[in-house]
Amino acid sequence: MGQGKSQFTEEELQDYQDLTYFTKKEVLYAHQKFKALAPEKVGHNKNAKLPMAKILQYPELRVNPFGDRICCIFSSSHDGDCTFEDFLDMMSVFSDGAPKAVKAEHAFRIFDFDGDDMLGVTDLRQVIDRLTGQQHLSEQDMQHLIQNILDEADLDDDGALSFAEFEHIISKSSDFAK
Amino acid sequence: MNDTAELVKNKMSGGERRKRTSRGQGWEEAGAEFYQESYPADVDLEVWQRDPAHIATLLPSKQSRAATSKRVRGEVKPTLRRRTSTRSRYSSTARRTSTAHDVHMAMLPDLSENLSNEERTWEEIMQIKAMPVSMMQKKEMKAKLQTATKLRLQGFEQLKWQRRKVWQQMKSRWKETYSKLELWRHSLKKIEGNFGTGVVAYFLFIKWLMFLNLFIFLFILLFIILPTLVLVPQESPANTTLVEECSRNYFNLSVDSSFLDWVQGTGNMERTIMFYGYYTHKLISEDGNMHSYYNLPLAYIAIAVIYLLGSLAVMVKSAAQGFKERLVEGEGQFYQYCNLVFGGWDFCIHNEKSASMKHKALYNEMKACLEAERLEEERQNRSRDEMLKLMIMRCIINLIVLMVLSGALALIYYTFYFSQERLNKELLNPNTELEYLYKFILEFLPSIIIVCLNLLVPNMFAYLVSFERYSPLFIVRITLLRTVLLRLASLIMLMFSLKDIIICDEPDSCSCEDHPKCWETYVGQQVYKLVILDFVTHVLITFTFNWPRMLIAKYSKSKVAKFIGEQEFELPKHVLDVVYSQTLCWLGSFYAPVLPLLAMLECCLLFHIKKFACLVNSRPSSTVYRASRSNSLFMVVLLISFIVAVLPVAFAIAEIPPSKSCGPFRGHLTTWSVVVESFDQLPAWIKSIMFFFGTAGFAVPIFVVLVLCLYYFYAVSAANKQMVMVLKNQLVLEGHDKQFLLNRLSAFIKQQHEHQKVMRQVEMTNLDLSNAS
Repeated sequence: MGQGKSQFTEEELQDYQDLTYFTKKEVLYAHQKFKALAPEKVGHNKNAKLPMAKILQYPELRVNPFGDRICCIFSSSHDGDCTFEDFLDMMSVFSDGAPKAVKAEHAFRIFDFDGDDMLGVTDLRQVIDRLTGQQHLSEQDMQHLIQNILDEADLDDDGALSFAEFEHIISKSSDFAK
Repeated sequence: MNDTAELVKNKMSGGERRKRTSRGQGWEEAGAEFYQESYPADVDLEVWQRDPAHIATLLPSKQSRAATSKRVRGEVKPTLRRRTSTRSRYSSTARRTSTAHDVHMAMLPDLSENLSNEERTWEEIMQIKAMPVSMMQKKEMKAKLQTATKLRLQGFEQLKWQRRKVWQQMKSRWKETYSKLELWRHSLKKIEGNFGTGVVAYFLFIKWLMFLNLFIFLFILLFIILPTLVLVPQESPANTTLVEECSRNYFNLSVDSSFLDWVQGTGNMERTIMFYGYYTHKLISEDGNMHSYYNLPLAYIAIAVIYLLGSLAVMVKSAAQGFKERLVEGEGQFYQYCNLVFGGWDFCIHNEKSASMKHKALYNEMKACLEAERLEEERQNRSRDEMLKLMIMRCIINLIVLMVLSGALALIYYTFYFSQERLNKELLNPNTELEYLYKFILEFLPSIIIVCLNLLVPNMFAYLVSFERYSPLFIVRITLLRTVLLRLASLIMLMFSLKDIIICDEPDSCSCEDHPKCWETYVGQQVYKLVILDFVTHVLITFTFNWPRMLIAKYSKSKVAKFIGEQEFELPKHVLDVVYSQTLCWLGSFYAPVLPLLAMLECCLLFHIKKFACLVNSRPSSTVYRASRSNSLFMVVLLISFIVAVLPVAFAIAEIPPSKSCGPFRGHLTTWSVVVESFDQLPAWIKSIMFFFGTAGFAVPIFVVLVLCLYYFYAVSAANKQMVMVLKNQLVLEGHDKQFLLNRLSAFIKQQHEHQKVMRQVEMTNLDLSNAS
């Protein structure tokens, strides 16, 4: 804890504490984890920008089917490379302290592969594909599944899920605390 | 694209103003002006011709979402003017209404004198976290807010605000320390990483039960055990009643003790605080003088009622939460597929193997859902013959299940009788080693039979249920139901067979022939034996049966070995184990007050045993267990077991006469009569109030009022459901309207473009002609 603390000023820690759902200790812990990904680079510059490949070595992200999407969403330069602040942001949203609305917002962005602010058929298809991993659903099953999802969730019947509809489902789902 | 969007937005607000004034002109003309101003003809028209749906991105609902992240970069100040909804400002409903507000904002003059005070600034800063922007922007925003001019709070307001800040800090620090102190945090994280949150819910359930048992035991310790140890019973008068004589005989009985007494609760252990028999029926006080006394019998029964009611309250509260969530889900519909796809991945998994298992599990679940749907359709389309055959098959299987259950119960009953008979007639004085062993086995025989049945019969049920062709979800439920029935029925049967031994009424002697002198302690001993045996069985099975199986599967390559060895962590079976041990605890606590302590230790050890079974013996399950569903399942099963456990005890308290030789209730007619007698000693006004509660004059109006309340809530909920239906239909219609208008708009723009092209061509030809001439 000693070495980590010397890299941040008190003011910075206070900033981080106010702007995330973490306490100071958790912020320092997150920095330790970040440093473990690339010790020398982060040792020089505590807010170093690590390439996406390095970030994806973090255990939970490595096995996550949406790992690269997560990096893209939280990266401030939108290309997947994250600084420590982006990493902290990411951890803060995934932590227990973040309310459901914040998580829903970010989840929507993660699932929105083509960036058009709607979860269309292509987005859903990619989500399902990534979820099933090595196994792949047959084309017929996939279409059936997508149709079922749209039947359940698409309230205004426009063939895609808007953020409002997505949030509506999430608020009713009790399993969403990641 | 973003700049264009901003430009368009501003233009649109201006266009709206213009549109209002030009309403007199035809639609086409006003429309043309509107669109010309808003959509610069050349630049974006090509974009739209390529993709007419692009217009959809300029809709207000999309704009407000994009604007949220941009607005906060640029103009933080104007948003501070909204005083009404500071807390929910960045929630989605605010987003939808924000566009109208932004339009107003653009049209109003800039009232920059509207400064905020420190408190509101602090609130704003606290809410920056919720915004979906990058950290750098958040820092900028915070800096801007902090350096903006703000009013200082004065006097009392200052005090209130400081207190709020301090309270927030304390809360966060308390949360931090509490999470550090959480018991078994490391183990739970490990399990979560490997198996997901559904299985972790099971271990949290064990932890919850452990704390429940701890509290029950603390209650008992404080109010029953400690007073018995510390205080002295009242000195008895010289005359000897039957009760006194019997008690003296019982307590002076000398029994040979053996090492087996620890496990059976007999011998020296029988007359200790562990069992009901030790507790005195007299009033106790510090020095035997009755100046201030402690009514131990009343305390004994009152504490029992209190902890049973307390357990019930805590369980109902837990179950109600799950039930409420279920109701909310079921209000519209249960979003099965959406939850599966959007909430399916467990973001806590950090292990490759578990991740691949999770993928497989999700795949299986998706297939299962689709399959279930197909089966449903098939079910609807079943022909009459098929239905008939299936019905007959199901009836037969249910009959078989009932027969198996009754057979099991009969077996328990007869075993009990057999062992009792043998013990009383032949083995009163065991002499040789072999006879000791025989006696030991006979003592434990009923418990052994119950445990064997609990192991074997569920497997049989699982085999039988495949013939009934139910949907998969129903299969799980019905197997669980049958297994629960088996376990609880075997317990009831044991109690039933005990009943014959216990009930015997001979007013003149201490107890009946061949019947135990102190039947309550006897019951307590039986439950104690069952608890110990249950625990030993768990340990044995996990370590000496399942662990070698795992080793076989791991180190040998043959298919047979894999078939025997590979096990999955099946949640329902393990849940039943834990619930069963808790049922035993509730059943026996009245007669063996030390049982909650044992149950607590057992929960603690069971946690580690199950952890071993989970992490080492089994591989991740191929079914997806969801945490919320699991929790409500646990609570429901626990509630059912609780009711089954409490019924025999309640019956015994109300009906069966207590034994004359031991216990806090000796000499009374029934155990409950102690309460009745103490009640008679209360002052008259309390008694009249209590009687009033029981009369019809009170009960009937209360009943009528409750029924009216129920009907009112039902009516409100029905009206809400209707409203939801209406709104949903409206939403669909609006969506169709929007699509229609968008299509119309893109067609119109195309038409405009064509028209302009033609016009330009005509102009060009005119120019050429004029140039040429």
